[in-house]
Amino acid sequence: MNSLMQTIALIELAITCAVVMVLILQKLTQQEFPVIAKIVLIALLGNLFFWPLGLGMELPLAAYVRGVTGDLSIVFMLLLWSSLLPSSKTTPITFKFAVAIIALGFYPFALGLGMVDPYAWGYGSSAFLIAVLAFALVCGLANWSKGVWMIAIAIIAWAAHWHESANLWDYVLDPFLAIWALLAFFGALHKRRKAKAQSGYLFRPG
Amino acid sequence: MSRVIALCFLLLAAVIGFLHIDSRPAWAPFVITNPSPVEEELEPQLVSKSKNAITPSRPSIPNPIATWLPDTGAASVHAASLIALKDGAVRAFWFAGSREGAADVSIYSAVFDPRTSNWSAPTVVMDRVSAETGLSRYIAKLGNPVPSRMADGRLQLFFVTVSIGGWAGSSISSMISDDEGLTWTKPQRLISSPLLNLSTLVKSPAILFADGRLGLPAYHEWIGRFGEFLRIDAGQVIDKRRMSSGRSAIQPLVFVNSAQDGTALFRQTRVSSQAKQVPVSQTQNAGQSWQVAEDLPIANPNSAVAGLQLNNGVRILVLNNIETGRYRLTLLMSDAKSNQWQVVEVLEDDEALPDQGRKEFSYPYLISVDGDDAHLVYTWDRKKIRHRYFSEAWLKRAKKQIQTVETDSTPKEVQ
Repeated sequence: MNSLMQTIALIELAITCAVVMVLILQKLTQQEFPVIAKIVLIALLGNLFFWPLGLGMELPLAAYVRGVTGDLSIVFMLLLWSSLLPSSKTTPITFKFAVAIIALGFYPFALGLGMVDPYAWGYGSSAFLIAVLAFALVCGLANWSKGVWMIAIAIIAWAAHWHESANLWDYVLDPFLAIWALLAFFGALHKRRKAKAQSGYLFRPG
Repeated sequence: MSRVIALCFLLLAAVIGFLHIDSRPAWAPFVITNPSPVEEELEPQLVSKSKNAITPSRPSIPNPIATWLPDTGAASVHAASLIALKDGAVRAFWFAGSREGAADVSIYSAVFDPRTSNWSAPTVVMDRVSAETGLSRYIAKLGNPVPSRMADGRLQLFFVTVSIGGWAGSSISSMISDDEGLTWTKPQRLISSPLLNLSTLVKSPAILFADGRLGLPAYHEWIGRFGEFLRIDAGQVIDKRRMSSGRSAIQPLVFVNSAQDGTALFRQTRVSSQAKQVPVSQTQNAGQSWQVAEDLPIANPNSAVAGLQLNNGVRILVLNNIETGRYRLTLLMSDAKSNQWQVVEVLEDDEALPDQGRKEFSYPYLISVDGDDAHLVYTWDRKKIRHRYFSEAWLKRAKKQIQTVETDSTPKEVQ
C-alpha cells in the first residue's frame, strides 16, 4: 500500500511538472498549443520526470522536486492540470481573494503564533469539514462548478488517505496555491486599476 | 446541469467525509507505566560480577557501569537513543558521519548485553540513499533517531530527514521492525506541518495511549520554536496538539502523572534576556490541550533534557544544569510528589578547564529496562557516545540520600 502511494505521488508530481513546463512554454511562445501538442508534450515530459535517468542521479527528477515540494494539494494540482483543458475558464478573482485571505489567516497560526493551531482542525474536525463544504457550495452558487469538483475530489482523496497526509488542509491548500492566489489577486487588482486609469484618461472631459 | 452534477458529487464527498471523521478513533487516556510510589528497603548488591570473586564480608552498592558505544570509524557522532528489548538487552541508535548534517551520515544501531556489559558490533539501520529510495524523494541528510515500543510489541523507529536547508527543514519518518530491530520495513513519512511538511523534529521517547497508539513529543524549529504532541497510528499522524508557542521551547519530554495528567519539560531556546531555565507545559486531558506552566527552577543552556520515572515514583533527569555551555552533565532526582530536584551525581564536569579545553556533553537519553534501573547515553565531545548504567540499588541509595537532604534542610540549589 505504501509503495503504491509513493508511486502514485510520483506520477502526480511528474504530470504536474510536465503541465508547468507546458504552461511556461505557452507563456514564452505567447500562443496556445493545440490539444494534441499538449498531450504529446505532457506525455514526453511526464515520462522524463517519472523515470530514473541515471546520469549520476539516484532518483527520478520528480523525486527531487518532491523532496522540496512534498505532495501538492489536490486542489492546486487539479487547478494546474485543468488550466490546460481547451474549455478552461479563468479562475474567478473572488476565489483567488478568498484563498489569499484564508492563507494569510492560516499560516501564521499554524506555524506557531499562539496556542491555537488551525492545522490540527484538519485531522478530523466536523466544523472544519463543514466550512470546506460551505466554501465549495459558494463556488457552486457562484456558478464555478470546477471549484466544486476540485474540492469534492480533495475531500474524497483525504477520506481515502490518497496521499501521506491524514490532514484535510493538505488536500485543499498548500503554499504554492496560497502564493499563486496572492500573486494572481494582486495582479488582477493591478490590471483593473490600470484599465480604470486608462479609461479615465480616454474619457476625461477636455 | 453541470452545476447540479457537481453539487451532487459534493454531497457524495460530504457523506464520505463525515463517515471518515466518524471512523476516527476517540482520544484515549495515557497508559500509566509506573505504579504509585512504594516504600522499599535498600537491598545492596555485590560489588563484583566476576565468576572468581569471593563473596565480600561487607555488601556494598556497585558504582554505575560506564561503557562506550561501539566505534563506527566516523569522525562525528550524536543523538543517541535507547530501547529495552524483550530479552532484557538494550538496543541503541545514533547517527554518525564525517560531520553533523553531512550526506554520509547514517543511523547506526548496536545491542548492549547486560550479562557481559558489552556492546555488539554496530550495524547501519538507515543511510541517506536507503531513505531516498524508501521515501521516494530526495533526502539531503539524516538526523535524530528515536525508538518506541508499539502496543503490539513491534519496534518503531522515528528518525529525522532533511531535504532542503538545515535542521529547520526537517521532517520525521518512521519504520517498523518485527524482530527487535534486526530488520526494518520501508520508511514512511509523517506529515505534521502545513508548510511543505517542513520543520518537525523528534528527540524524546514516545508515550503510550490506552488504545495502543503512541503519543510522540515533537517540536517545530523554524519560524517558531515550540513543542508539538503527535498522535501516531502506525506510520501516520492522526492528530497533533501544540504544547507551547513562540520561539522559546523545543524538545519536549513528557512525564505521565496519571491517565489524564501529564507534564512536559523542554529545552529552552529563549533570547538572552529571558530566564535560562527548563520551560514546562501541562495537560489535564491526556495531551488534547496543553497549558504553559511555571518554569522548573533548574538552569538550562539551550540543551536537551532527558528524564525517566521509576516504579517507585522517583523521577530522574539528566541535563546540563548551567546557563551557558554544555561542559557539565548532571543527574538529578526528585520524588514525584515533592517535585524538589536534587543533584545526585555529576556525570561529567569540565568546569575547571579553560573554555577552549572544555568538551561538550549533550543529548542525554534515558530508559529503564525493568522500571527500577536506568540506562543513560549521551554525546561525549561529538566524538563518542557514552553509556552509563545505574542499578536499582544505586538509584535506591540515591533516593535515600535526597530524602535525607530534604528532611535535614531546605531544598538544595540545583544550579
